[in-house]
Amino acid sequence: MKIALVGNPNVGKSTVFNALTGSNQQVGNWAGKTVERKTGIIRRDNLDIELVDLPGTYSLTAYTQEEIVTRQYILREKPDVVMAMVDASNIERNLYLVLQILELAPRVVIGLNMMDLAKSSGIILNATELAKALNVSVVEIVAAKGIGIDKFLSEAVRVGLLQKDPLVHQVPYPSELEEKIRAMENLLKDTSWASLYPLRWLALKRLERDPEIGQEWQSVSAPESSKDKKRDSCCDSGDALNYKLKKIIELPGNDLLRSYEEEGWTRDHFEMAFADAKYNYISQILPRFLTQEDLRKPSLTDSLDRWILSPIWGYPIMILVLALVFWASFIASAPLGEAVSQGMALAADFLVNLLQWSHAPTFLMSLVRDGIFAGVGAVLAFVPQIAIFFAFFSFLQDSGYLARAAFLGDRLMQLMGLHGKSFFSLVSSFGCNVPGIMATRTLEDPKDRLITMLLNPLIPCVPRLGVMSAVVAAFFPGTRGAMIMLSLLLISMLLVMISALFMRRVVDQRERSAFVMELPLYHLPTLRNVLWPTWHKTYTFLKRAWTFILAASVVVWLLSSFPQGVPMDSTWAGKMGEWLEFIGKPLGFDWKIMVAIVFGFTAKETTLSTLGILYGVAADASQSIAQAMTGAMSPLKAYTFLVVYMLYIPCLASVVTTYKESGSLRWTAFGIAYNLILSFIIGWIIFHGGQALGFQ
Amino acid sequence: MERSLGELKPGERACVARINGGGALRRRMMDMGIVPGVELEVVRCAPMGGPLQIRLKGYYLAMRRGECAKIVVSGEQRVAIKHTLASR
Ligand SMILES: Nc1nc2c(ncn2[C@@H]2O[C@H](COP(=O)(O)OP(=O)(O)OP(=O)(O)O)[C@@H](O)[C@H]2O)c(=O)[nH]1
Ligand SMILES: [Mg+2]
Repeated sequence: MKIALVGNPNVGKSTVFNALTGSNQQVGNWAGKTVERKTGIIRRDNLDIELVDLPGTYSLTAYTQEEIVTRQYILREKPDVVMAMVDASNIERNLYLVLQILELAPRVVIGLNMMDLAKSSGIILNATELAKALNVSVVEIVAAKGIGIDKFLSEAVRVGLLQKDPLVHQVPYPSELEEKIRAMENLLKDTSWASLYPLRWLALKRLERDPEIGQEWQSVSAPESSKDKKRDSCCDSGDALNYKLKKIIELPGNDLLRSYEEEGWTRDHFEMAFADAKYNYISQILPRFLTQEDLRKPSLTDSLDRWILSPIWGYPIMILVLALVFWASFIASAPLGEAVSQGMALAADFLVNLLQWSHAPTFLMSLVRDGIFAGVGAVLAFVPQIAIFFAFFSFLQDSGYLARAAFLGDRLMQLMGLHGKSFFSLVSSFGCNVPGIMATRTLEDPKDRLITMLLNPLIPCVPRLGVMSAVVAAFFPGTRGAMIMLSLLLISMLLVMISALFMRRVVDQRERSAFVMELPLYHLPTLRNVLWPTWHKTYTFLKRAWTFILAASVVVWLLSSFPQGVPMDSTWAGKMGEWLEFIGKPLGFDWKIMVAIVFGFTAKETTLSTLGILYGVAADASQSIAQAMTGAMSPLKAYTFLVVYMLYIPCLASVVTTYKESGSLRWTAFGIAYNLILSFIIGWIIFHGGQALGFQ
Repeated sequence: MERSLGELKPGERACVARINGGGALRRRMMDMGIVPGVELEVVRCAPMGGPLQIRLKGYYLAMRRGECAKIVVSGEQRVAIKHTLASR
């Protein structure tokens, strides 16, 4: 049995999905987190159920990328039952989508979620009355606390097993409209499409001139999706959805539509009339199941917003919040990182001693000490940073603050000619560029989408920030380090702004795009929603360290230790560096840095592990990579390295995602070239500018 | 008296008379519940020409000034309408 979770954005669909399937879909308090469908299999009473989590949508006349996914799924895959999730605290608008669903699919169960929020804001809902009004079963749930979820599913299964489609109450349209619908129904009832969809829905869509009606699609599985997961599991994006056009059927009714148009009933007119009728119907039935307590007290959201969105205090608060997040994750976490380093050094010592004792060959000892522990150990040192960052980030996004930050940041986005929703994409990129690029799907305009996609790599992700903070800590100890980090973040932000304007030119975007976004109610994040993503991200990072980074470390160690017995710059790595040196020369980089930067393309952390190996940091020595580097580089060179490293190229995973999302090799190549050239130019300016100013 | 939504001051309420312009934006607004007859309230404006925070049907919406200019509202207040949620 196929069951689909459908509903407005941010009503708790993924929360229910996670609870039922035990998976880990992104949850947060802003609209548009899920951008691809995700399937989970559950067994219930000897029945295999395919539960599908879909992106939230405001209507079934979808036009943004992620909404199209939902519409296509319902239209083409035809789930047996639709679990229609509704936000009880915002039921009036939520029911609009429910009415649309009911016109298309009769087997529906309504899940009345967020009952706790509704109650605390003085809304009393009578589920039985709502069920009676629409003739659909209704289940009350509080998904965040796991209340009612099981009942929701069993009700859906029950409806799915019914012999006959239940008779739901249809929206009554005004008689003038009803006549036109009936005339259209008569024309369509003998077509092959009438056997696929409810006749009334077909007629409505035909009157609205829905472009998809009359086309037949066939789903083709996406073979890459399983490979994707292996490539980078930190950026699990769900299943891709692909269809092929099978054929186009000529549907009758064109003459009728023309004659209506002459009477003034254009497509827009029909759409408006249908929407109007639905909203009218909702306000008619609303009093039957909703009573509003007249609380005088302003709600929590009202009082918080008075400060957080205040024209005066809003921005200082936002800066404070951001500063806190970055301070806690990249500066305050330093002792923890050091503890991990020391732990690794002890472990390396122990292992090497063990090897010595067992008379293992020296190259094996070198591999363990100079390859594995120097490489992987360096990367593991910023596990605390990753954990702390994601804990804060999850808290912010699950509380509802992120949507407020988008509201406040929108002025800046406008200045850059960007869409307000680009903000979410760019902020997500701090976690990892891949979900950031995926999040561009919520943008309606394809050009806006492309611009945002190309900007994403300029945002340093946490692993990149981790590497940077390790280098900063060595070269610029104390409070100077914080200032240096801040200056780097400012450079990145400035470049995002300038690049945005530049990309608008390149992409030839002249339109100023629209921005209509819901501001959700605040609520206290659940422990699960904060700790689970934090653990998940940390775990995938750890996994990458002991698989991918380990392999890369071994490769780099091999390259840098063979042929054996020669000095470092005549090894294979040294030879490789020699070819690259001419690129690095204008920036003052030696060959080791160039090799590390090139390896960083596979995954950004590799740069640090490579540096660790190339600078010969023996893990048993008390000296860290950064300390070894301080001997080899001046602070100015280090700063240039930091800037270039922050900007130079997105990692392999983000390049692949850019290609998949843009569907264009040309734009992907353009993005890479842009980053490379930009980082080189900025690096050159900083290095030579710094020298001219007398910095070392 | 007809004005655009962008001309309302924070705290003011008005009813939607019509939405200028067509296409995707108007449809989006319809999906969000902005149809003729609905009462809107401007809660606050972000400074320096930033977006507006609007309340309707018991929930909050952020909208840029450009979009607000397309929504024509009529000044007369329908006092009888009671908001759900947050309107207190
Ligand atoms: N107070 C409260 N919050 C809830 C409840 N159910 C879910 N939430 C919260 O609502 C927010 C949205 O939940 P999601 O599951 O991400 O919503 P979604 O419908 O998948 O959203 P999109 O993927 O963006 O369409 C999260 O912050 C949840 O923690 C509930 O019953 N009560
Ligand atoms: Mg979701």
